[in-house]
Amino acid sequence: MKQFLLRWLQLAGAGRILLRLVVWATVAVSAVQAAADEVVDYEKQIRPLLAARCIGCHGPGKQRSGLRLDGPAALRKGGDSGAVIVPGDSSQSLLLQRVTAVDVGKRMPPRGVSLSVVDRQLLRDWVDQGAMMPVVETETERHWAFRAPRQNPLPVVNDLDWGRNPVDQFILARLESEKMRPASDASVGVRTRRVYLDLLGLLPSWETVKQQHASRDPDRFERMVDHVLASPRYGERWGRHWLDLARYADSTGYESDRPRAIWMYRDWVIDALNQDLRFDHFVRQQVAGDLYPDATPSQRIATGFFCNGMYDPGVRWEHIIDRVNTVGTVFLGLTLGCAQCHDHKTDPLSQHEFYQFYAFLNAAKMTTVRREQGNLTVHSEPDSAASGTSPDRTIMTTEVLQHAPQPTHLFVRGDPAQPGALVSPGFPAFLGNHSPAIPDQKPTRLDLANWLVAEKNPLTARVTANRVWQRLFGSGLVQTENDFGLQTPPPSHPALLDHLALQLQRPHWRGLKSLLRALVTSATYRQASAVRRQFAVRDPGNRLISRQRRLRLEAEVIRDVWLQAGGRLSSKMGGQSVFPEQVEGVLENRATPATWISSQGEDRYRRGLYTWVWRLTPHPMLPLFDAPDGVAACTNRDRSNVPVQALSLLNDPALVECAQSLARFVARSDQGTDSERLDSLMRICLARDAHPVERDVLLRLLERQRSELKTDLSLSAQINGQSDGELQTQGAVWIADAAAWTVVARVVMNLDEFITRE
Amino acid sequence: MTPLQMLTRRQMFRSGTFTLAPLALASLCQQEVLSAPEPTSPLPPQSPHFPARAKSVIYLFMIGGPSQLDLFDPKPELLRRDGEVLPDSLLKQAKFAQIQEKQPKIMGSPWRFARHGECGAAVSELLPHTASIVDQVSFVKTVKTDDTNHMFAELLINTGWRQFGRPSLGSWVVYGLGGEAANLPAFLVLRSGMRPRSKRANYGNGFLPSKFQGTPLRFAGAPILNLSSPPGFTRRRQRDSIAAINALNRHKLESSGDDEVAARIASYEMAFRMQTAAPELLNLSGETAATLRAYGIQDTSQPSFARNCLLARRMVERGVRFVHLFHGDWDHHTNIAGGLPSQCQQTDQASAALVKDLATRGLLDDTLVVWGGELGRTAVAQKSNKKNVAVGRDHHIDAYTMWFAGGGTHAGRSIGSTDDLGYFPVGEPWHVYDLQATVLHLLGLDHERLTYRFQGRDFRLTDVHGNVRRELFA
Repeated sequence: MKQFLLRWLQLAGAGRILLRLVVWATVAVSAVQAAADEVVDYEKQIRPLLAARCIGCHGPGKQRSGLRLDGPAALRKGGDSGAVIVPGDSSQSLLLQRVTAVDVGKRMPPRGVSLSVVDRQLLRDWVDQGAMMPVVETETERHWAFRAPRQNPLPVVNDLDWGRNPVDQFILARLESEKMRPASDASVGVRTRRVYLDLLGLLPSWETVKQQHASRDPDRFERMVDHVLASPRYGERWGRHWLDLARYADSTGYESDRPRAIWMYRDWVIDALNQDLRFDHFVRQQVAGDLYPDATPSQRIATGFFCNGMYDPGVRWEHIIDRVNTVGTVFLGLTLGCAQCHDHKTDPLSQHEFYQFYAFLNAAKMTTVRREQGNLTVHSEPDSAASGTSPDRTIMTTEVLQHAPQPTHLFVRGDPAQPGALVSPGFPAFLGNHSPAIPDQKPTRLDLANWLVAEKNPLTARVTANRVWQRLFGSGLVQTENDFGLQTPPPSHPALLDHLALQLQRPHWRGLKSLLRALVTSATYRQASAVRRQFAVRDPGNRLISRQRRLRLEAEVIRDVWLQAGGRLSSKMGGQSVFPEQVEGVLENRATPATWISSQGEDRYRRGLYTWVWRLTPHPMLPLFDAPDGVAACTNRDRSNVPVQALSLLNDPALVECAQSLARFVARSDQGTDSERLDSLMRICLARDAHPVERDVLLRLLERQRSELKTDLSLSAQINGQSDGELQTQGAVWIADAAAWTVVARVVMNLDEFITRE
Repeated sequence: MTPLQMLTRRQMFRSGTFTLAPLALASLCQQEVLSAPEPTSPLPPQSPHFPARAKSVIYLFMIGGPSQLDLFDPKPELLRRDGEVLPDSLLKQAKFAQIQEKQPKIMGSPWRFARHGECGAAVSELLPHTASIVDQVSFVKTVKTDDTNHMFAELLINTGWRQFGRPSLGSWVVYGLGGEAANLPAFLVLRSGMRPRSKRANYGNGFLPSKFQGTPLRFAGAPILNLSSPPGFTRRRQRDSIAAINALNRHKLESSGDDEVAARIASYEMAFRMQTAAPELLNLSGETAATLRAYGIQDTSQPSFARNCLLARRMVERGVRFVHLFHGDWDHHTNIAGGLPSQCQQTDQASAALVKDLATRGLLDDTLVVWGGELGRTAVAQKSNKKNVAVGRDHHIDAYTMWFAGGGTHAGRSIGSTDDLGYFPVGEPWHVYDLQATVLHLLGLDHERLTYRFQGRDFRLTDVHGNVRRELFA
């Protein structure tokens, strides 16, 4: 026993030792009590027996008759026929009935040698002695993320005035328990700008801010949120978040990096979010829309979700692996990919189970379809989808999935050149069998889709709610938003996470808007973001959310707000990706050449998410401000802060153009004084007036520029970006004035605050 | 070139074209914007804990794990026992990443080794240029890491922790020492080929203030874009604009207390200075044909490892503290016969040329060059059944080779050795924590004193580990 314990301790990681000790103590105590009767030891005698003879069909790999025999919880639970063990009564235990059945057709195990007399007796004794097993659950069984979310009672708080909705009660209760106080509300301007940037990725108009200031309606903020959520810009903003997860790009990646047509999928996402499609439908259509009975074109286009990602027909298997990993990251918050080559080292996922997912996603081929008068027609041969050569061949076609059964073999060591056993589609055992009514035949992608959004699936709703939280507060309640596995530390607010997950999921799934509305109208969200020194040391990461957080805007949004402030931003939605101007040289050094013919007219000024993305050589602003590379699902963008970003914001000609047009607007406006004009500039960019110190700095700058520039008309014209023709129509004073305002506008647009959601 | 001349050359680059204006921008709100001073360097030099041997580091990071057994650590025994099953005693302790075979077989190196230089170091025929600098280099044969997974091994060697969130080695160094280049970021990052698998974490600031993060240059096309001010923006107009931007940002910093604003201020100050310094840094037209030839650069407009090595020299010449250069992929699980020579061909000449070039210019004495990856490769073969694809080697974490040159390290020394099968170290290994402690020490930093308080405790790069390995020192 001592040796046994020692070995156990060696095997156990430091964190697990305690648990093991408890288990051992339980076993040891019962062993002592009934020593005279030769108590059967589950760990030493029964577990190995079941492992050797039974779990091939009733274990992590297969669960014939819904039964698993590979652990205490599973043994207690039983299978489709109910309990298999009646402790203390072996004759009533199905387990014994079946291993001792006279009828060979019923006897277990069905093949090979039956259990020996000794083994049968061992089992019988064990059950008759009470089927003693360790009472402590396994780590997997205890792990919070693998249990269904629970509706917890709202915690009690002392301060009854602060909270606005249940979210706040969870946050406040925790703060109060730490003797901390939430921050006061952010100013009206900051709050309004925050909502617009978070939900739409755009700046609020000054009219909107003014209305929030002036209105006496107690629900004015909530009304504004409703108005904002109804804007079609919402789908663009939150669609881009989803496209990060979907590995969206307009080319295939790899060295060849060929153009592909998949923008209809991008538009589908935008549209689905704008319509506030129920999240379960949102998931099901993307995972298996093509398998719906009488699938509509829209449902088929949604399967572009899996066509995204890098693709090279020569290594199709890599693409399927990418699909598996994407399912893991996006819906389950699990690092499934770790089990590609071997059983997962930290989570209870076998390599076999990885290939069960693979089998689901392998049974599909990609097809390019053409959209004509609302219908989709097959445009090219399956799996040659990514065969275009130039972006303009992508008009009106898109890539979709099509059911195409084919055998899946496990890859030995993850090596596709070493196919192993055949694997059928199936679900990992540790997540239980959550799918409603799996058909007798092989389950399909539609079953996978149903399983992902099944009420009992403990992960999808939590992972999604956590990610929504993360977008609004800077980091998730679970900080490792892409990993909810065993290694994951518990959420900062477990009950709140469950509350949000259930809000999304019960009594039926909803679109994201209601969750967003609840979060954005909470007092927690409305807090000011300034660092509070008294709490900064105790909670440097602000995990307890005693304030909001300042978040630098994403690459696309930075460009969008520049264009918007400059009055250039196009409101055109959807369609083929566009080619805004970019500096020369970006497409250099590619193995295969690519083109970038700058779009003309309105398409130069479309929102950033419509910019064509060559995976290999994206528009420079995208990687510069940490846009994802589309190689794998991106759940959390970096927010780097380096001098080369400042160079871009200061000097990029496309951005300077925005400063010029904003300056013209300000200089031309009928506002009288410089100070009033400055207010108009600040209100457009920052949704507030200038602080006296700021006003002083900026007006002095303006004055100095004006006096320098009035003597140099051609320099002024350069600063304004004016052509000779334009010059003749303008007075000299105005030209210098506009140039001076261009300098000032560029300063304001380069402020940290301009590219930050406060 | 006399020492005096060398000093002057270096000083000339480092002092740059500006005079440092002592005026802090903090007071600018009330200051006359009419005479905005030149922005100061955001990361001024700091004194080390004790006299430094090295002033700057060029870290040639070889992503994926180069095979030490085919490059630096010849094992005749492997050849003799080629094809034999690995002895049980070793197998029991082996930590493979991918091999699942019950009886993996020993694989001798298909490449020949020869002894080179006065020190007689053995180097593979794949690295003829590296072979020519062995007398300037110390090989550490027993580097040890803890994780067989690339991503976590990268994090461990570059941030001292196997999870995301810790500051990188380069960030710790510039946190401790600041920069000597007033006009260039103190910590620059270059890449040729793939990205490191744990991406920005390899040069990220973790919990250190944001201004200590590495600045990555672009790989393809121009390394830095938008270096010219817009038309009509004279240098003075640009300067006045940035002064105003930062005056307002400073106001924001006071009201928000957000460290990111401090980093933004530093970024704008540095951006302004880079506008003149970076084009000069990146302009290779002044490099002689002989130099370009030595590095193996045929076309300076083409991105390559070689061009990055040359840029790295130019960076330390101008006072950049830490240059982290990434190149890969060395992850030769299969087809090592094709993959390894190709990687060597891309890197050998330029790595050696860099060391020689630094030495010729008198820069090697205070520039530490480090070459190596996040892990090594196994003595046994990893088989592949793919047609026409030969075998490779799996990951090996118990002992692999890295080399060091300059920066106060001993020249021409081989440190540590491995057993006959190249499996385990004989004697005490060099854990990557030792490597970190030793690199910091060469820079005059005590790894136990270089701490940062976060979440109520003092963190350091080496956590609670790390020994300074003086056998590396000259």
